[in-house]
Amino acid sequence: MLPEIVLLFSAFMVFLGGILLISTKNLMHSCIFLLMCLFGVAGVYASLGAEFLAVTQIIVYIGGIVILMLFAVMLTGGKEFISRLHKVLNLAPLMGDKSTYMKGSIVGLIIFGGLSAFFYQLLKVLPLKEQQVSDYKIIGHSLLTDNLLAFELSSFLLLGALIGAAIIAKPEKVSESKPTDI
Amino acid sequence: MFEKAYLCLLMASFLFALGFAVIFIRKSIIAILIGLELLLNAAAITFMTFNRYVVGKSDGQVFSLFIIMVAAAEAAVVLAIVIRLFQTKESIHVDEMSELKN
Repeated sequence: MLPEIVLLFSAFMVFLGGILLISTKNLMHSCIFLLMCLFGVAGVYASLGAEFLAVTQIIVYIGGIVILMLFAVMLTGGKEFISRLHKVLNLAPLMGDKSTYMKGSIVGLIIFGGLSAFFYQLLKVLPLKEQQVSDYKIIGHSLLTDNLLAFELSSFLLLGALIGAAIIAKPEKVSESKPTDI
Repeated sequence: MFEKAYLCLLMASFLFALGFAVIFIRKSIIAILIGLELLLNAAAITFMTFNRYVVGKSDGQVFSLFIIMVAAAEAAVVLAIVIRLFQTKESIHVDEMSELKN
């Protein structure tokens, strides 16, 4: 009974958060609704019996990525920021206008319809059965035996991403002001 | 059981379509990164659902863990690039990043 309630509640959070995320015009609010959406995804994992994955999702996404995104939004001007080039180059506004919303909703509806029809047909064919999902002990064992290569490569990837991000974001120390080529 | 599995997969397809729509609609790099995270989450939910209802054991769960790890690494690098671009060009609009176009 409890997993069903958790699943329904998290489905509500995912759908509502997604709709609000795409309809708001404020980047900061968009990040907050992304947080709501990701919390719903963590609830889905918990209802599917993968507690370890749910906790990892909360720690990594909500504790890490969304906070990082909020910092990036604040460092790049926030909602008051309006580029001085918009008028000159006649660009679409930063959060989209009518034509981009039209394009995006057409693409989204086509993908949603296609994928949901495909999954419906697929689930009809497959033999469904509630399988036993491994707990954290078995996952840890499998990470260090069967999936050892991927585990080590992921540690290299994270190290490379860390060093690369630090080097890319380092402020440049040039004395002369660079002319903007616009 | 069919309903529960189909609800999970419906959520995954909703998140995937939403991610694509966000990438098409927004013109800000950070908003496009949000769309990318939604796409990765849709893939992870699909792995976990099929792990629960078809395959069993731990394989899909490990795949979802690696997807979360890749998403974290990619978000860090993309946000560093965004901050760097804002220092040099004072903008996060994708259409203004056109040095390599011609």
